[in-house]
Amino acid sequence: MAAPVRRTLLGLAGGWRRFESLWAGSLGSRSLSLAAAPSSSGSPWRLLGALCLQRPPRVSKPLTPLQKEMAALLQQIEIEKSLYSDHELRALDESQRLARKKTDLYDEEDDQNILLVQDLEDMWEQTFLQFKPGSRVTADNKNDRTSLHRKLDRNLVLLVREQLGDEYVWMLPQAEWQPGETLRGTAQRAMATLSENNMEAKFLGNAPCGHYKFKFPQAMRTESNLGAKVFFFKALLLTGDFSQAGKKGQHVWVSKEELGDYLKPKYLAQVRKFLLDL
Amino acid sequence: MRAEPLRKKKKVDPKKDQAAKDRLKKRIRKLEKASQELIPIEDFITPVKFLDKTRQRPQVELSFEERERRALLLKRWSLYKQREHEIERDAIGVMLDAQQEALEELRLESPELHTEAIKRDPSLFPFEREGPDYTPPISNYQPPEGRYNDITKIYTQVQFKR
Repeated sequence: MAAPVRRTLLGLAGGWRRFESLWAGSLGSRSLSLAAAPSSSGSPWRLLGALCLQRPPRVSKPLTPLQKEMAALLQQIEIEKSLYSDHELRALDESQRLARKKTDLYDEEDDQNILLVQDLEDMWEQTFLQFKPGSRVTADNKNDRTSLHRKLDRNLVLLVREQLGDEYVWMLPQAEWQPGETLRGTAQRAMATLSENNMEAKFLGNAPCGHYKFKFPQAMRTESNLGAKVFFFKALLLTGDFSQAGKKGQHVWVSKEELGDYLKPKYLAQVRKFLLDL
Repeated sequence: MRAEPLRKKKKVDPKKDQAAKDRLKKRIRKLEKASQELIPIEDFITPVKFLDKTRQRPQVELSFEERERRALLLKRWSLYKQREHEIERDAIGVMLDAQQEALEELRLESPELHTEAIKRDPSLFPFEREGPDYTPPISNYQPPEGRYNDITKIYTQVQFKR
């Protein structure tokens, strides 16, 4: 029989009681309204498609001291091995001419270039100082984790807070699988319902990048409802932002280290596997 | 009565004409082959002004400490890059394992969803995205006005049809 084999495989997910009880409570209440059928082959697992929406970094990471030293050394070597540029040749000529003027004190032709190299460099310096680039470190952090403009050099993942039973739990946005669609379609539906079509994302392939499975507590288990499996799909955020003005405190953009503040241990362990820490 | 026998011109003439035409075609083909000019790769041709000797920098004599510092820095750098590569390789391995596990679970769950998950996604490529810059883009930026003249040389290769 397949069931005992499955039990040994799933012994990993067995120990987390509270989360499962909340899950089962919510799914139990929802199952009456949705009437979602279990998977077609008659297995007792519910299927859920979850979305791992990532905002790619906008700014490069700051260099470590070793990298800075190496960059300086490479620049030095490049200058040593190069030829003189036009600008440098002109500077050398003019310095020679000035030296001759001082020593010999005879009048050369007065209609030389009035514009010396030094003046050019000063002009360039002025225009450079006038330009104000955007700041790399967004100073208006204020620990506002719901904004997209924090931590511009890291990957940010979207977390949502959903109510299961009588407790709020943080998790990646997910939706229940409905027969007739692929799991990636489920993830896309989850994104559409979240953002109300404000966000554009590029899904990276048809295959899931990770999974999480758990069993319901004994009270909730029936013949056809042993537990649930969540499959995660990766997507990169292209444009748009999460505009749910109505619900505050329900979503958060978080980098990999801060995931531990929100997610439960076993869920976190599975999610960390497929997130690349830059 | 004493006329020369009439020469029969019918058999040989078409062949001669054919031979003449073939020779002409061969000559045309040879001319075509000879006149094919290759488009010059401008990166491989050093401009003449850079062969001037006055442009060369004087040779820098590095002190012993400087050379030591450079050698040690290069060694540290190679070690750092090796470790970085190993970390990256292990992380990618973990990600691939997680994906394989997920696909296994899906296969146990329902084979149809598994076959659909394995399919290639034709809309994935070509995928273009701008990489991270040093500073983020400024909102309401006014670029300086002006025109520019594009002086790139465009070469065309004349192709003769055979």
